[in-house]
Amino acid sequence: MALDDVPRLGCGRSIDSIWATIERPPTAHEEQCDHCQTARTRLERLSEETRALRESDVHDPALKPGPGIKDAIMDVARAEVRRGSRILLRSADNGTTEISEQALSSLVRFAAAAIPGVHSRRCRIEIRPAASSIAGEDDPSGTAGNATTAGPRLIVNLRVAAAPGIDIPLMAEVLRHEISNAIPAGVGIGAGTVNITVEDLYDV
Amino acid sequence: MSEAPLQGSIITSQLIASLAARTTLETPGVLRLEPTVQGFLARLGPAALRHLRNPGSQNGTYRHDGVTATISNGTARVHLDIATDIAFTALDVAETVQRRVRESISHTGLTPGAIDITILAIEHHRGPTIM
Repeated sequence: MALDDVPRLGCGRSIDSIWATIERPPTAHEEQCDHCQTARTRLERLSEETRALRESDVHDPALKPGPGIKDAIMDVARAEVRRGSRILLRSADNGTTEISEQALSSLVRFAAAAIPGVHSRRCRIEIRPAASSIAGEDDPSGTAGNATTAGPRLIVNLRVAAAPGIDIPLMAEVLRHEISNAIPAGVGIGAGTVNITVEDLYDV
Repeated sequence: MSEAPLQGSIITSQLIASLAARTTLETPGVLRLEPTVQGFLARLGPAALRHLRNPGSQNGTYRHDGVTATISNGTARVHLDIATDIAFTALDVAETVQRRVRESISHTGLTPGAIDITILAIEHHRGPTIM
């Protein structure tokens, strides 16, 4: 005979099965069975108390998080996002240095924010190992980043929206120049290729 | 009375992590160490950490906000997640942090191992975060 630890009523039904259906109307068996009716009455009271406690917790000011908690949670969330995609900048016996794609993207966005009439949108950064970079192989416009420390070669793909009436080729050139200066200054590696896509015009 | 030197050591991975964190935060150009879930729980209170806490040991790993320190066979390795000031060149900041942390570790009597750094954010000092 199999034994189990599930508490059972005199009629053989488990307490758990009654609890699982406590929100529904009683079954035909439960309407006839004294054991089930007693159990239901007690469990309904428990269910009601549980619901009241839940409601009370929701509105209890003492259980509201402090003002710094939300900020702290967002800080952790942002840091976790930044931990996602990283680029190896330098590797030596005494340790490695990596940078997150998010950090590089923010640098590119800061640079773009300095150009009037430009709203930066999506920024993706690809990486090519230093060894596979070929001398003279740069972006189609011929504008390369300032060469600094030997390291990985970046391919920056930035999508922007421009103000109507703006000279788009000139804006793209200024923007590319700004980014090509910002990355060596901010990170210490060459900017590599900077691809700019003007995908929209925005209302001023 | 024996002349033999004491073999015991009180240098734990938690101490190395604390030392590395302080050295890093004192380096010009470092804005902060990037928080981790575990560090956040530690700030909430000890109860939240009861099941997660990993006290430092002489042969083990200790993790806290932005710092992971590991001691193995007398060598201390450290990993740091940092945010740097946009007014500084991040690679130079990281190099300075590596040098300073190595120096700090060598003062404990342990051998400095790899000091790995990840630059998770570059921001203006007191400026908004752009993601």
